[in-house]
Amino acid sequence: MVKLTMIARITDGLPLAEGLDDGRDLKDADFYKQQAKLLFKNLSKGQHESSRLSIETGPYYFHYIIESRVCYLTMCDRSYPKKLAFQYLEDLKNEFERVNGNQIETAARPYAFIKFDTFIQKTRKLYLDTRTQRNLAKLNDELYEVHQIMTRNVQEVLGVGEKLDQVSQMSSRLTSDTRMYADKAKDLNRQES
Amino acid sequence: MRPSAGNERPPGRPVSGFVPGFAAGAPPPAAGASPFGAAAPLARPGGPAGPFAPPTQQQGPPVAQAAASPRGPFGAAPPAAMGGYRGPPPPQGSFGAGPPPPGPFSAAPPPQGPFGMAPPAQGPFGAAPPPSQGPFGATTPPSQGPIGAAPPPQGPFGAVPSSQGPFGTAPPPFRPPPSALLQPQSPTGNTMPSPTYVRPPPVQSQPQPVQGYYPGGPNPQFPPSRPSFQQPMQNMPPPSMGPPSSYSNQPAYPTTGPPMGTLQTLVEDFQSLSVSSAPGSLDPGVDVNGLPRPLYGDEEPAKVLEAFPLNCHPRYFRLTTHTIPASQSLVSRWHLPLGAVVHPLAEAPDGEEVPVVNFGSAGVIRCRRCRTYINPYATFADAGRKWRCNLCTLLNDVPGEYFCALDASGRRFDADQRPELSKGTVEFVAPTEYMVRPPMPPSYFFLIDVSVSAVRSGLLEVVAKTIKSCLDDLLGFPRTQIGFLTFDSTLHFHNFKSSLSQPQMMVVADLDDVFLPLPDDLLVNLVDSRHVVESFLDNLPNMFQDNVNVESALGPALKAAFMVMGQIGGKLLVFQSTLPSLGIGRLRLRGDDVRAYGTDKEHILRIPEDPFYKQMAAEFTKNQIAVDIFSLSDKYCDIASLGSLAKYTGGQVYHYPSFQATTHGEKLKHELSRDLTRETAWESVMRIRCGKGVRFTTYHGHFMLRSTDLLALPAVDSDKAFAMQLSLEETLMTTQTVYFQVALLYTSSSGERRIRVHTAAAPVVTDLGEMYRQADTGAIVSVLARIAVENSLSDKLDSVRQQLQLKLVKSLKEYRNLYVVQHRIGGRLIYPESLRYLPLYILALCKSLALRGGYADVSLDERCAAGFSIMILPARRLLNFIYPSLYRLDEVLTVEPDMIDGALKRLPLTLQCLDTAGLYLLDDGFTFLVWLGRMLQPELMNDILGVSLSNFPDLSKIQLRECDNNHSRNFMAVQRALRERDSSCYQLPRVVRQGEQPREGFLLLSNLVEDQMAGTSSYMDWILQIHRQTQSS
Repeated sequence: MVKLTMIARITDGLPLAEGLDDGRDLKDADFYKQQAKLLFKNLSKGQHESSRLSIETGPYYFHYIIESRVCYLTMCDRSYPKKLAFQYLEDLKNEFERVNGNQIETAARPYAFIKFDTFIQKTRKLYLDTRTQRNLAKLNDELYEVHQIMTRNVQEVLGVGEKLDQVSQMSSRLTSDTRMYADKAKDLNRQES
Repeated sequence: MRPSAGNERPPGRPVSGFVPGFAAGAPPPAAGASPFGAAAPLARPGGPAGPFAPPTQQQGPPVAQAAASPRGPFGAAPPAAMGGYRGPPPPQGSFGAGPPPPGPFSAAPPPQGPFGMAPPAQGPFGAAPPPSQGPFGATTPPSQGPIGAAPPPQGPFGAVPSSQGPFGTAPPPFRPPPSALLQPQSPTGNTMPSPTYVRPPPVQSQPQPVQGYYPGGPNPQFPPSRPSFQQPMQNMPPPSMGPPSSYSNQPAYPTTGPPMGTLQTLVEDFQSLSVSSAPGSLDPGVDVNGLPRPLYGDEEPAKVLEAFPLNCHPRYFRLTTHTIPASQSLVSRWHLPLGAVVHPLAEAPDGEEVPVVNFGSAGVIRCRRCRTYINPYATFADAGRKWRCNLCTLLNDVPGEYFCALDASGRRFDADQRPELSKGTVEFVAPTEYMVRPPMPPSYFFLIDVSVSAVRSGLLEVVAKTIKSCLDDLLGFPRTQIGFLTFDSTLHFHNFKSSLSQPQMMVVADLDDVFLPLPDDLLVNLVDSRHVVESFLDNLPNMFQDNVNVESALGPALKAAFMVMGQIGGKLLVFQSTLPSLGIGRLRLRGDDVRAYGTDKEHILRIPEDPFYKQMAAEFTKNQIAVDIFSLSDKYCDIASLGSLAKYTGGQVYHYPSFQATTHGEKLKHELSRDLTRETAWESVMRIRCGKGVRFTTYHGHFMLRSTDLLALPAVDSDKAFAMQLSLEETLMTTQTVYFQVALLYTSSSGERRIRVHTAAAPVVTDLGEMYRQADTGAIVSVLARIAVENSLSDKLDSVRQQLQLKLVKSLKEYRNLYVVQHRIGGRLIYPESLRYLPLYILALCKSLALRGGYADVSLDERCAAGFSIMILPARRLLNFIYPSLYRLDEVLTVEPDMIDGALKRLPLTLQCLDTAGLYLLDDGFTFLVWLGRMLQPELMNDILGVSLSNFPDLSKIQLRECDNNHSRNFMAVQRALRERDSSCYQLPRVVRQGEQPREGFLLLSNLVEDQMAGTSSYMDWILQIHRQTQSS
């Protein structure tokens, strides 16, 4: 069952749209929303290995797809079929690109496409119940393959960014130190001669 | 003592009563003539003092002259102690010629002359009646002597209240040596081109053509030599010039106060009104027609913009006095409220739009310490790399993206292109940090009482039709959400699922444990479920037409609404037609008991009985729900309790006593449509920051206070204003200017998050006089009214009114103390030009629906509803509410339709203005009251009413429709014109005939605030009362 739905631009992490009555019966919705935002921030730094990923967090899974520099993210129960979740995101993506495709790059304010929430809400309702005929058909659809999509832990994902940051910091320090060493060495050489 | 008769005061009044000085003012045909008159004229043009400008000086001159001139001679005289100044002093040739002294003011100009002189002399005079003049003439010469002495003072007239001020303008040189004086300086008058004179542009003095006045020939009079004075003189009451002389005199005048000459000199500083009568005379000494009346409505202090062009427009932010006192001691001498009225979403005139700024990646530029937003008063330093916060003076870094070089004067090159650096009002696009959640769609949830009283009054039909007609205009298309819940003794939920063809109704009878019968589809997207909603609205009146249920379970219904809307927030509109009788929040008939009035228990009826409503309101606010209450009961329904829902959620209370669809339907329809379609800011919070040393302490209006200074406003629109009071935190202000910044963070109907920022600056002053000069009556009355209404919730009405009066008296007394010593003006009520309407407004406020009388004067619900209205009304509408506009229409109805707007002239609110052959309309912003004079031509009456009076129609039920004749068409045009001026309310016309009791009494007569009503004072008595109290120590 879909708990949260968020759409953001990954170039700068700007939120573009969000499901309207998400989190109604979710106790710590704010906590997970915060996590999702953090995720976007990381993504905006260009650290994403794949365009499709599932991330486990507590009793839930985040699923996201990245397409044309827009990230479509949803949060579902662990028991919710991965396949349906990704098809839900695909549906959103197709509609979003169709409606707002050409304005995504120029959007300057947060939630510029908040009107999209009505579509999110409608689509979400379609996916609520996994046992409807429609959803069963989707589940059995062999064409849509989700097995390759990796699953990671949220700490891992959010941690990666930090580690990478550290590495890049260290490497840049190394560069500057080396340069210094080279200069000093040159000086010494000169003094000697 | 003076019965209403006082009003008539014919101009003929014995002069003595009035201050001569004023008379001069008279020129304005309007009532102005009398005492005020004088002042008024001056003030108008110049504006009392220019805002900040060194008003004193400029104006001073004119005044001085004016005053001086006439009395010029006298001025000299004072010392002489003219025994009888009043008399038409023979000596003064000029005067003599002048108008007959006794003439009423109107004649004024001339008479004054004498008076002017008199003032100084008075001591003696007081006693001496007019006749005394004789001496005077003689005196003149001597008088001058004193004058001569006097000269020195003048210079700085403006600054110093000292009497001389005015003279100051006159260069010392002029003072003619006494000897000169003696000679009848005939020539002096005009001829003397006093250089001095030149300087002070006689701005205000209108009546320049001085000469005209002196019948006698100007020259003689002037002896005093100040040529300069001459021109203005007539108008002004002759200020007694010689300050020195004046001192001596002071003690002199006892009772009456013939106006002292000195006064006039000060004209630029204050206005005065002579209020005492000659001893032994029954004459109250006040010219009723001359009392100041706000016939032009509210005056926005637009001059503030001249002094501070970078300020936001005063329609958004007004201080009660556009100055900040420099010290605690000064504050304590300013007895009026020190505060502001904020109207953050005031409607701007067409074509004026608030510029929108998006900082993009730089983020909103704000001060790091006090969080002030960048504004035109911020200064840049360090070649543009830093900016100094004007509120807290912290030096902040300028983000790289926002950097711009500075020109030689330290101004950014791009300042003119950036609205946030050149405009007092801007809107910023809020980045994600300003959102706790994505912008929610505007949503409307209707809670409709369908018990028998609602059905019978026709409420359901009007509401259903109106909502249906507004569906296209609801805000936030295509995201708008809508939902309905009806209730009587049970709750009826309605399922609007878009796949249904008809709405489904589900009844929940368990009032103790309310639950939602459906998780979704109770609040739906309007676009998707439009057909279901329309079908519901079409059927609503029929669905309950046979309902005989008399109960009302409002409390449980509110809880249910909260469950439905809690996630999203929005507006909750409650239509209540009877007292809530079931479940939690049930209310009882709290008898409005005459015995409670005047006791400590009186106020209890005006506060909510059950804490449920306040708690519920707190929950609503937390979830961004604003509640509007439409109370349409014909009986008591405890608005005091219901209203607290609106009070703490930024909502509004609409009250329609004895609602009947046939008569009130139109009003409800318009007001409901406006409520649904006016531009609204959602999910908002507002904060007002101010510079170091001052602090906002209390806030008045409809909102919930979150933390100490954050106003939570689930919804706010252009019909709501807020008031607040300031206090000084430090004993001495060290800065020259104090800045204020109003920031309203909100979600627009289109789903954008915005910050609207208004910035204003006000100077710090050390002079109480300057505070008075910059006072803003509209703002003061707004703040006072709100404080008074709040006080009425914890105190007796009578003491609330007394407190108002006390504040007025204290402030006038303080003002008087500023000037009275130097200028012997014992017999006059003096007040600053800027506050000339304050006494009347306070009187009107005491007589307003919310504060008037006691038990029988206003029904409890109406009183409470008026109180709730006062708490949100912007200044202009508030002033019109307490002092309604009265127009005479019978003449207007015959003019060309396109001339109508210009032909409407406001009249003073007194019975004297009503002609029995006339047709009048009183507009208080909520109702039109049409008054038909007894002698009104029957044809005209029939044309307008559409029925013949000979059929004895019931005027309380009559509806005015456009009939096929010119009178009726014009009459409708008048109504339209008046409604256009203020679209926030629909004034329902009510017709009353002269002598039709008791309707005439409570509809019209109680609105004639200048007249004496049971237990209240007339305007004139009020002035006398105030005057007496200001004099007593």
